[in-house]
Amino acid sequence: MAIRELKVCLLGDTGVGKSSIVCRFVQDHFDHHISPTIGASFLTKTVPSGNELHKFLIWDTAGQERFHSLAPMYYRGSAAAVIVYDITKLDSFQTLKRWVKELKEHGPEDIVVAIAGNKNDLGDIREVPMKEAKEFADSIAAIFIETSARNAVNVEELFQKISKQIPPLENPEVESNDSFKLTRQPAPSYRRCC
Amino acid sequence: MAAEELPSEFDVVILGTGLAESVVAAAFSRVGQRVLHLDRRSYYAANWASFTFNSLLTWIQQHHEEPQPEELHDWSSLLEEGEELIYLSNTDSTSVRNLQVFCFTSEEGEEAEAQSPDAPNTTEEVSAGDAVKETSETESADSKYEETNQKPEEEEEEEQASQTEGEEPEADQPTPTAAQSQSEPTKKKISYAQLVKEGRRFNIDLVSKLLYSRGSLVDLLIKSNVSRYAEFKNVTRILTYRHGQVEQVPCSRADVFASRQLSVVEKRKLMRYLTSCVEETEEQRAYNGRPYLEFLCDQQLGNNLQHFLLHSIAMVTEDTPTEEGLASTRHFLRCLGRYGNTPFLFPVYGLGEIPQCFCRMCAVFGGIYCLRHSVTCLLVEKETNRCKAVIDSRGQRISCSHFVVEDGFVGADRKRLATPTRFLSRAVLITDGSILPSNSDQQVSMITVPPVAAGCPTVKMVELCPSTMTCMPGTHLVHLTCQSVGSAFEDLSPVVTRMFRTPQSHDQEKNPSVLWCLYFNMADGSEVKGHDLPSNVFVTFGPDGALSHEHAVSQAELIFKKILPEEDFCPPAPNPEDIIYDGENTSTGGEEEQSLQTEE
Repeated sequence: MAIRELKVCLLGDTGVGKSSIVCRFVQDHFDHHISPTIGASFLTKTVPSGNELHKFLIWDTAGQERFHSLAPMYYRGSAAAVIVYDITKLDSFQTLKRWVKELKEHGPEDIVVAIAGNKNDLGDIREVPMKEAKEFADSIAAIFIETSARNAVNVEELFQKISKQIPPLENPEVESNDSFKLTRQPAPSYRRCC
Repeated sequence: MAAEELPSEFDVVILGTGLAESVVAAAFSRVGQRVLHLDRRSYYAANWASFTFNSLLTWIQQHHEEPQPEELHDWSSLLEEGEELIYLSNTDSTSVRNLQVFCFTSEEGEEAEAQSPDAPNTTEEVSAGDAVKETSETESADSKYEETNQKPEEEEEEEQASQTEGEEPEADQPTPTAAQSQSEPTKKKISYAQLVKEGRRFNIDLVSKLLYSRGSLVDLLIKSNVSRYAEFKNVTRILTYRHGQVEQVPCSRADVFASRQLSVVEKRKLMRYLTSCVEETEEQRAYNGRPYLEFLCDQQLGNNLQHFLLHSIAMVTEDTPTEEGLASTRHFLRCLGRYGNTPFLFPVYGLGEIPQCFCRMCAVFGGIYCLRHSVTCLLVEKETNRCKAVIDSRGQRISCSHFVVEDGFVGADRKRLATPTRFLSRAVLITDGSILPSNSDQQVSMITVPPVAAGCPTVKMVELCPSTMTCMPGTHLVHLTCQSVGSAFEDLSPVVTRMFRTPQSHDQEKNPSVLWCLYFNMADGSEVKGHDLPSNVFVTFGPDGALSHEHAVSQAELIFKKILPEEDFCPPAPNPEDIIYDGENTSTGGEEEQSLQTEE
């Protein structure tokens, strides 16, 4: 099966559980005292999807969202974006629109957008009704799901839904344009002049 | 997204997000220093930034407005015993000047309808753009050249004219004929309205540089693993301009053999020369101090080869000494074939990505980022003459052991100016086709233009195609750079008029048309000046005129080594696969990894 690398960027206010969701998805692990993820600029996990394997490269904001200073490069080439809010914090839902706007401005045009209402294990102190969030997601044609990174609820499902929305590669040759990453092992030198 | 207070203690506070500052930030953060990285601007990368078309227009406008002298707040109440204040400059109006904008395409397009905010089916528009691409040759009549009769002195009004005209199409919507223009490939030029509408497809760099495939920036990107955040494209060809023609310069073995403009004898001579100049010889040493041109002449290479070797391969001037010419020839040759057939790489989405990539690395290791936030003054301990803390634009006292600041924020009274600041002349053109059409319409070209007349500067030109993600389909983005002799317009417009079709050019039917262009001068950052700031304050300088990034990288490394001489400069960050989370302690794989703190 062909492996397709898909960049996914996470958005949302500080403290809504962006890193926890990734951590749960990638390592099936939850840490109560998670500090802003240091040293991991993205995590990867490969999941099967139809005839392909999707290798998610999940980028964390690395705290740059804290003072509204996310760089445009963060969005480049993303296949999907997950905008996370905290169902127990109305503020974090109200800023969704701002993240959507920012994504429209800087993100790729064909990006798959998912909205995740995290901390749904804390239903008793909920401030954001699910219906309202679902309606908002529908209005921007985004995937909607409520998750609990803590109890491992719907995290896998979130990424499955994203996988399903990623259009299959029609023509792999067309997709591969000739841009590349610089690596430690340079391409074999050929056609050297002398 | 409520405004939070910044922490009040850091090891290093850095002001400015240009390349050198961003590399410094990444380097410190990577070895565990607490970094606060600020920029007063609302965007990353300072004078190294890339802009969408619309944000470039905003940037132009900002540089036309008189800088508002901010009120100097008196922070002396925050002073402690034995401290004094040094105020930083709060306007950065000196580094960019002489902006001039010309729009040579019609203001409203046939697709003005698409001005509505949520225009559907963008893809169709793209293909329409593609169709427009090869069309320019047949018509130029319907373009408006309102601005072209004006003289450079009238730049202010001119600029405003172009600004307001840009906004007009929304007001007086002409009858749209979008469907028509899509179905039949009528020869329509891309309009100004289309440039605005597709504005986010542009990433227009303020500086124009390339990465040498074996240069220090490529080495640093790889060494630090910052390379994982960016993608690159090869510059696909080296071109030069002579006798009014654009020609391809054969530089790899394959090019030399495939070249149709070289004779068999020339091919042999060129191969022999390129092979022989790799080693330093007695014969070469004899020419030390004498012009490289003289050395080349004595090699009996002929005019063709001499031009290629001097202007396009060594990229030096006629009076450059032989040893220097040979050194840059060797560097060029060393860089061939590592990634492609030319020595150069260009980052997808533009050069402004590179500082952002280093900033991300800094953030990933805990560095704190805050744009639209500045430092107004430094708190200096009188006795030691060291900067103990800074006061930010909100009046917060933030202590730090070291302060790194971009040159633009240091007031002129603090700098020791030996000579008046030198400037670079820059032009940015959006054109409707390549300067040298070929089988592939996705070429990235480096073009050297020797002085068009005596006393004129040598111009470096980079032409980017849409697949570099720096311009919309159907256009090319051309950057021109030279050392200033006069204003950017005076220095570069003669080259533009000769090589492109503009209302001023004559008999240039085959050349690509300029749709829109911008001229400006930017301070040359290679002019290293001293300053009389405390010894733990480090000043970084903006972009220089060289093609490479060596200057910024070496500045950053120097600052890092001065502060932390024992530490490794930008050791590799671990690969995501090598980070193992197990709650209690975190171990990393990989050979070169340093200790890494993740979660507690």
